[in-house]
Amino acid sequence: MSSWRSLLLRIGDKCPDYGTSSDFKEHIETCFGVIRRELEHSSDDILPFLLQCAEQLPHKIPLYGTLVGLLNLENEDFVKQMVETTHANFQDALDFGNCDMIRILMRFLTVMMCSKVLQPSSLVVVFETLLSSASTTLDEEKGNPSWQARGDFYVSCILSCLPWGGSELVEQVPEEIECVMVGIEAYLSIRRHNSDTGLSFFEDDDESGSVVEKDFLEDLWGRIQVLSSNGWKVDSVPRPHLSFEAQLVAGKSHEFGPINAPEQPEPLSEVSGVLYGKQKHNAELKYPQRIRRLNIFPASKTEDMQPIDRFIVEEYLLDVLLFLNGCRKECASFMVGLPVPFRYDYLMAETIFSQLLLLPLPPFKPIYYTLVIMDLCKALPGAFPGVVAGAVRALFEKIADLDMECQTRLILWFSHHLSNFQFIWPWEEWAFVLDLPKWAPQRVFVQEVLEREVRLSYWDKVKQSIENAPALEELLPPKGSPNFIYSIEDGRERTEQHALSAELNNKVKGRQTAREIISWVEESVFPNHGWDVVLKVVVHTLLDIGSKSFTHLITVLERYGQVFARICPDHDKQVMLIAEVGSYWKNNAQMTAVAIDRMMGYRLISNLAIVRWVFSPANVEQFHTSDRPWEVLRNAIGKTYNRISDLRNEISSLKKSVVSAEAAAAKAKAELDAAESKLSLVDGEPLKRLKANAEKAKEEEVSVHESLEAKEALLARALDENEALFLSLYKNFSNVLMERLPDPSRARTLRELKSIQADEMTVDLDESSVMEVDNESRRPNKSQSNGGKDSNIYNVGEKEQWCLSTLGYVKAFARQYASEIWAHIEKLDADVLTENVHPLFKKAVYSGLSRPINDVSSG
Amino acid sequence: MASLFKDLTKLSAYRDRRFPGNQEEFEQALHTSTTVYIGNMSFYTTEEQVYELFSRAGEIKKITMGLDKNSKTPCGFCFVLYYSREDTEDAMKFISGTILDDRPIRVDFDWGFQEGRQWGRGRSGGQVRDEYRTDYDPGRGGYGKLVQQELEAQRQLVDYGTGSLGSFPPVMPPPHYGRRGGHNQGGSHPQSRDHHHRKRHREDDRPPRESSKRTLDHASRRNFDPNSRPEKNPRFRESANSDDEEEDDGKQRP
Repeated sequence: MSSWRSLLLRIGDKCPDYGTSSDFKEHIETCFGVIRRELEHSSDDILPFLLQCAEQLPHKIPLYGTLVGLLNLENEDFVKQMVETTHANFQDALDFGNCDMIRILMRFLTVMMCSKVLQPSSLVVVFETLLSSASTTLDEEKGNPSWQARGDFYVSCILSCLPWGGSELVEQVPEEIECVMVGIEAYLSIRRHNSDTGLSFFEDDDESGSVVEKDFLEDLWGRIQVLSSNGWKVDSVPRPHLSFEAQLVAGKSHEFGPINAPEQPEPLSEVSGVLYGKQKHNAELKYPQRIRRLNIFPASKTEDMQPIDRFIVEEYLLDVLLFLNGCRKECASFMVGLPVPFRYDYLMAETIFSQLLLLPLPPFKPIYYTLVIMDLCKALPGAFPGVVAGAVRALFEKIADLDMECQTRLILWFSHHLSNFQFIWPWEEWAFVLDLPKWAPQRVFVQEVLEREVRLSYWDKVKQSIENAPALEELLPPKGSPNFIYSIEDGRERTEQHALSAELNNKVKGRQTAREIISWVEESVFPNHGWDVVLKVVVHTLLDIGSKSFTHLITVLERYGQVFARICPDHDKQVMLIAEVGSYWKNNAQMTAVAIDRMMGYRLISNLAIVRWVFSPANVEQFHTSDRPWEVLRNAIGKTYNRISDLRNEISSLKKSVVSAEAAAAKAKAELDAAESKLSLVDGEPLKRLKANAEKAKEEEVSVHESLEAKEALLARALDENEALFLSLYKNFSNVLMERLPDPSRARTLRELKSIQADEMTVDLDESSVMEVDNESRRPNKSQSNGGKDSNIYNVGEKEQWCLSTLGYVKAFARQYASEIWAHIEKLDADVLTENVHPLFKKAVYSGLSRPINDVSSG
Repeated sequence: MASLFKDLTKLSAYRDRRFPGNQEEFEQALHTSTTVYIGNMSFYTTEEQVYELFSRAGEIKKITMGLDKNSKTPCGFCFVLYYSREDTEDAMKFISGTILDDRPIRVDFDWGFQEGRQWGRGRSGGQVRDEYRTDYDPGRGGYGKLVQQELEAQRQLVDYGTGSLGSFPPVMPPPHYGRRGGHNQGGSHPQSRDHHHRKRHREDDRPPRESSKRTLDHASRRNFDPNSRPEKNPRFRESANSDDEEEDDGKQRP
């Protein structure tokens, strides 16, 4: 006999605990039979465990709800306690804004209502409370419309309950539920349509605004209405309580006490402007949209299901991903074994990819979804690999329109995925990219995937993996060896600089200290050869000594970092230093990035110097053809951000220490005072000890205070530096774009920008007639992608693609660091986003920040 | 992470016998550590490959390759040190069991690198698991050390002369180097050696002279090994334990 724990945990699964049965009714009976016996002596363990199961395996909630209904017939007190605990947890979740808990507990309440544990009217009261809070938020006087995200979240939670209990509610409390539906409709009519185009996977090229896509809440409302008109019939939600209806009606329904929605945020004086934008950003961080649908597959391929079923399966999958991360086996087996009577492989792939690519950030690091996709390919070897390949092909097809951040994630995912499956891919399908210009996004995609494959493996191995399309070797990175200009191996002429390099090399081999080398440089090299030679010799020689591995590099930087610091004390010189690093590792993008990253880590170069180097002409030229400069830029900003986050974390834990140190000091003081007042009763010794204690506690308190102040000062400085970083970044972006973007009158939208070259090309290239663009109304192929192998043309010109890619990164950086940027928005508005800035640039920044577009004065 | 299917307090089944403390302190170290141990690596995997893969879980502070204590060449394990605990946990959760260089690697929390722990603990210099293996694993130097010695002895009996140990051809033909197949199919031995060799010496175009070159490479690297320069890095100031003690680094891990 299996334990009650494993029966609860495994209910509904095909597993040995339940023998051969896969019938929910039998599972519930078996489980109930065991639990009712155990209740007597283990109820204190059963209650929290049952709740935990319901919270963490929400796709099984109907089974747990029915079980609770049956237990209610046996032991009303136990279930009463369970309802009370749920109430307390729910109130906590509301107070702390724990979205997942709110959503899941509402589903649990709904199924308990179905099992007669709760009165339907209690559930309606919960709905009404949340709905009323949502509507108040939208009220400019009593609420604060910038917090619409919270209202939307509450309303989506109400709607999400209906597939689990809509038919019961309509049957038992028709008027009340109708009233809720009317309220929701009213809410929908006054809320703002969510048009955060900055978060869509594909560059929104429908800028004419002709068709407005439904936002998440409108979409869910639509699905619920279809469900309602179908008589609330839904395939993807098991309804096991129906099998026990005759028994369950005898149960006593419990009270679910009132709940309180959290306080409304302070009203704002105006519903636009910076303050509104900042608060809206915060609200959306706290109440994020859980999913954004990624429609990869054509409708003919995806599974045919009711609109609501799609929503439910997505919910199931997202919850499995959320709660079972770190449990690979269970995660994969729940993903493939959801309690639904239809196949959902394509939907599963779309859902996982939609998370992998979710903007601004997925709930987990992309590598988690990489792992899940691998595990599903192994769990469903006959079906899933093909679906994944289909997804890759479909995304590749549309890659030119895919958001820049998503392109980067896709490259990292795909290369990693292939490295786990022997690098097998039908590359011949993509050999045509060689005929495309070097800036065509499909070609860049292939090139960057190969680059990452080589990093995860090695050059010859990847070369071998493309044997079906040997010509693609052209896109492989160089073999990665250093470009050591003082190499003496190939019998090149030995110059004076060669001799200096050899001398430096000998000094390092002879274990001279950094100080000795600095004096050598300053006394004998610099006076005779000048600074440029010093820089070249030092950088090339030291990097060459550190070239054998990551650890070699670190060791050289740890021992001789001061040499770099001495010769490159300011930004100008640091920029030249970085350029030399880039020259030494010009054949190896990974080592370039790593070396620059480590030098920033040792504070030999500043993030501002890195930004300047990234925007130096040689790099700017590569913006549309290579990830190389972007990787360096991402690292530099990421590292800066990580430092700030570390400081924030340290400060928040120091603040806690301050509180406890103050309490400890106060307590010691109180003890001392108390003892002193009773001085007559004690002799000297204990008093002395108490005094010492009090002093020590006070010292402790002072010292924690001091470290907190020190950290806060560091943070303040870091934030100033951060402001300078983002100002510099966006100033540089604005400048290079201003030089290259066509006049605003010629390119008001990205679509117009794309078609500029196409117009010119139709004049000189006859074969492009297939792709001719009528740029007023018709778009070629919807996107600029290549429909098939017969149209090996990419008709966006080089300059236009440069602008498109760069604008894509402008948006991506703004989006990823939106919270940091919002903190400095006034300065950014004043210094960078001025009147003269190009509207397309401004639009990209605004869109990345999800800043309401009507704030863009120039349109 | 879900607590339903995993005992979150139990982080590793492996107990390092050289940990200087009791079980409780050991577990405490694992719970706060930002170091992961990576096992079942190919001898040919480079730090840069490790960096590319493991930096996908977060910013890396340091990588320490495990080395054969005799030959000073990689012997199939390493330590990766992160800056943050969260990233460390993600590396363990999301990378363990996946493939690096055609091999499923194992990632575990580690109590923290100390000088001396980079050396293999097997009698022959590498990891203990490579002493007793009887399978042929081209990514880890062919047969286990004991089997190699036996083969060596037999070979001398029939007077084939003394070849270098690692270069014995397998008795069983190696699996065909197809693009489909198991994870461990590194290809026929000489071929894969050649590939990996080039990978490790990518900056070197001279014809390979394997074992001596590799030793040189890592001997020179030792000069710059931060671990061997304790005065530069306070983290490693404790002096090394003697490493002649036979202890399992692989066998005790599940």
